Parts: sequence; C-alpha cells; structure tokens
Amino acid sequence: MSVNAYGNQSKEAVKKVEKEINRLDNLLSVQNKNSDIYKINENKCISPSKETLNIIKKAKKISRLTDGAFDITTEPLTKAWGFSGGAENRVPDKKEIRNILKNVGAENININNGKITLNNNSSVDLGAIAKGYASHKAGEIFNDYKITSALISLGGNVRAVGSKPDGSPWIVGIADPDNTEKQIGTLSVKDTSVITSGGYQRFFESNGKKYHHIINPHTGYPAENGLKSVTVVSEDDTLGDGLTTGLFVMGLDKAIEFYKENGSFGAVFITDNNDIYVTGNIKDIFKSNRSFEVIE
Amino acid sequence: MKNRFWIIIFSAVLIISAGLWILISNLSLSANIVGIYQNNRLIKKIDLNSVTEPYEITISGEAGKNIVQVSNGHIKMKSAQCPDKICVNHGELISNTSPIVCLPNKIVIKFENSSENIDVKTGVK
Repeated sequence: MSVNAYGNQSKEAVKKVEKEINRLDNLLSVQNKNSDIYKINENKCISPSKETLNIIKKAKKISRLTDGAFDITTEPLTKAWGFSGGAENRVPDKKEIRNILKNVGAENININNGKITLNNNSSVDLGAIAKGYASHKAGEIFNDYKITSALISLGGNVRAVGSKPDGSPWIVGIADPDNTEKQIGTLSVKDTSVITSGGYQRFFESNGKKYHHIINPHTGYPAENGLKSVTVVSEDDTLGDGLTTGLFVMGLDKAIEFYKENGSFGAVFITDNNDIYVTGNIKDIFKSNRSFEVIE
Repeated sequence: MKNRFWIIIFSAVLIISAGLWILISNLSLSANIVGIYQNNRLIKKIDLNSVTEPYEITISGEAGKNIVQVSNGHIKMKSAQCPDKICVNHGELISNTSPIVCLPNKIVIKFENSSENIDVKTGVK
C-alpha cells in the first residue's frame, strides 16, 4: 500500500486514509473472524452493517451486468484451488468442481430487509472488489480534506486524486505481464481509478501447466480466454475493480462487445500473443512503445 | 603551443561526434513508433521494429481506398485512389517533420514519441 498526498493537511488526510483502509480490511476480509464476510459465510444468514450490505448489493449488480463473469460466490472454488483460505495450491478433480459449481452464482445470495441469506453450501469473498471500494473511500477522504493532488496504490490498484502538484496528469504505468519490472504503456490520468487484473499476478504450476487465480465462475477453472491482463480506467473504483475480473473472464471478443454496450469505462487488453487493444475513449491518454489497436 | 592547439581541436571533434552519436541513436530509438490517423482520430499505432512479416492496411475514405504498406522498419502509402497521389509520391516515412498526408481521405501517418517517466504502476503487488 502506498498513499501520497500534497498540500495543506495532507499528513492528516494520509493518516485517516490508512486508518480507513485498515478498518475496511477488518470489515471485508474473508479470513478475519470478526469480519462481516466471515460471519456471513459461517452463519449463512446475518444482518451485516449497512456498508457491507451495500457492497454486496453492488457486487450482485456487477455480476448481473457481466452475465456472471464476475461473481463473489466463487469463494469455494478459489479455496479448492488453494488461492484462498490458506490452503495449498492444487488442481481439484472434475467431480469436485462440478459439485462446487452447483452453489456458485449470484442467485445464491438473497438480500431481504437488510438481511443476507446464503444458500447452504455457498460462500462469498469480496477480494475482487474490496480494494476498489477501499480506494474509492480513500478518494472520498481526500476530497473531504480538499486535497487536490494525491495518489493511492493498493497492491497495484491505483486511484488518482486530482492531478500532480504542478497541474499535469498522473502517469500510471501498466505492468508488462511478462516482466512486471517494466511497463507496456502508460495512462495519463486525473481523478480516476486505474486497476489491472492478470493471470500472471498469482499462479502455480502442476505437471508443467500454469494455473492462475482468476477462476471462471461458469467453468470452475482458471479463465483461459486469450488474455494476459485487463486494465480498467473508471471513475467508479468498485465497478472498475469488478470489471477487470469480469472482462478477463469474458475474453477479448466478449469484452469488446461489453464495452460497446456499456462504454462507461476505458480498458487496455493484453492478449496471450502480447497484442495490445485500447478502447477508443482512452486512446488519447494511452502511450506505448509497442503497436496497439484501438477499439471504437 | 602547437600541440595545445591540436589537443583542443581533437577534443572538440570528439565531443561533437559523441553528441551527434547520442542524438542519432536516440532519434532512431524513438522514431519507430508510427501512428495512423484519419479525421484526426488515431486508428492504429505500429512499432515498426516489431514487424516480422510485411503486411498491408486498407483505409477507406470519401476519395476511395488507400493501401498502407508496412514492413520491418518501414511504412509507406502503396496506393491511393485519389487523383493527386501526393501521399504515394511522398515515399517512405523517414522524418518527424514530414508526415505522410492524404488530404482527400484525411489520413496522416507520422512518428510518435512515447517515452515517459511514471508516477505509479498498476498490475503489480
């Protein structure tokens, strides 16, 4: 986590942001026994805080929007693959995946009168949007402090507040999936979030095959749809965070269709062949030393 | 005295040569990203250094079709259906100051400069 801010009261604002991020980590963590999410998964029916309820509502909305490509009920799958719950990485057998899939899908979360009820064998994990929500809240705090120049990076999820102290845009590099020390291009941004999901971020190898952490909720296996990473530029951090996963699972063709229907965000796609595709609405702020294709 | 004169001349030549070499090598590094624009809108960006097989791009406009030819390190307008053919006669794109322009179809092919320092990186832990 890195939080930098400039101007009057920037020190106080940074402290408050750090405190807020820790609070959200405790509230939304899937492993912390005092978190709302842990209690939902344990008890299957609770009345969580209003904030948790709203985030879960939003997650359900993103799930609907992406036709289930993004889904917070994949928790039992990520656990089976050893990507959550502290378990060891392993390749689950087909039967196990088939059984788990019966309880995956946003329809397994029922929200009624402030109460969340999960179907018996379902559980949720907000890992794919929690950082986006946290950076959104951090941005709100900086706005409250009237900070016009700040940059937040939560494990690579970036939120730009205002511009650089000299008024020019923040320059956000997009990691090269083949060598994260380098970048494949840059985005010049003000007042927006820039979030990347990629299979290269967490993976393990078994029998010479790589298995990454972005599980396709429809198949139960790591999404293999020809993409190495998806970067989303969105003023709505929570939506942007969810969409990086959703678009990655969809693959390039469906993601392009999705962009054309819901173009309220910008995106940079890097394919398995290292081809770069950039949506037309951010082409003027994207720069790269490599060739790229513009999606209009 | 004479020796000192030659030392100064020799040093000056050395410094100028080094400066020119740095300038030329930087130019050639940054001068291989090319942008193709139509109606002031970027339609394709190409790193000419990464082109392995030559290929052609067809761009349609009010004055018919233009065919751009791309190969490793080179780009030019191969043909155009407009009457004046200024873009075809331009030949290969070789300089930052002289882009290939097709006025009838509003196409511009020019070098892009893209090196930049970053403030933060996305997609890393």
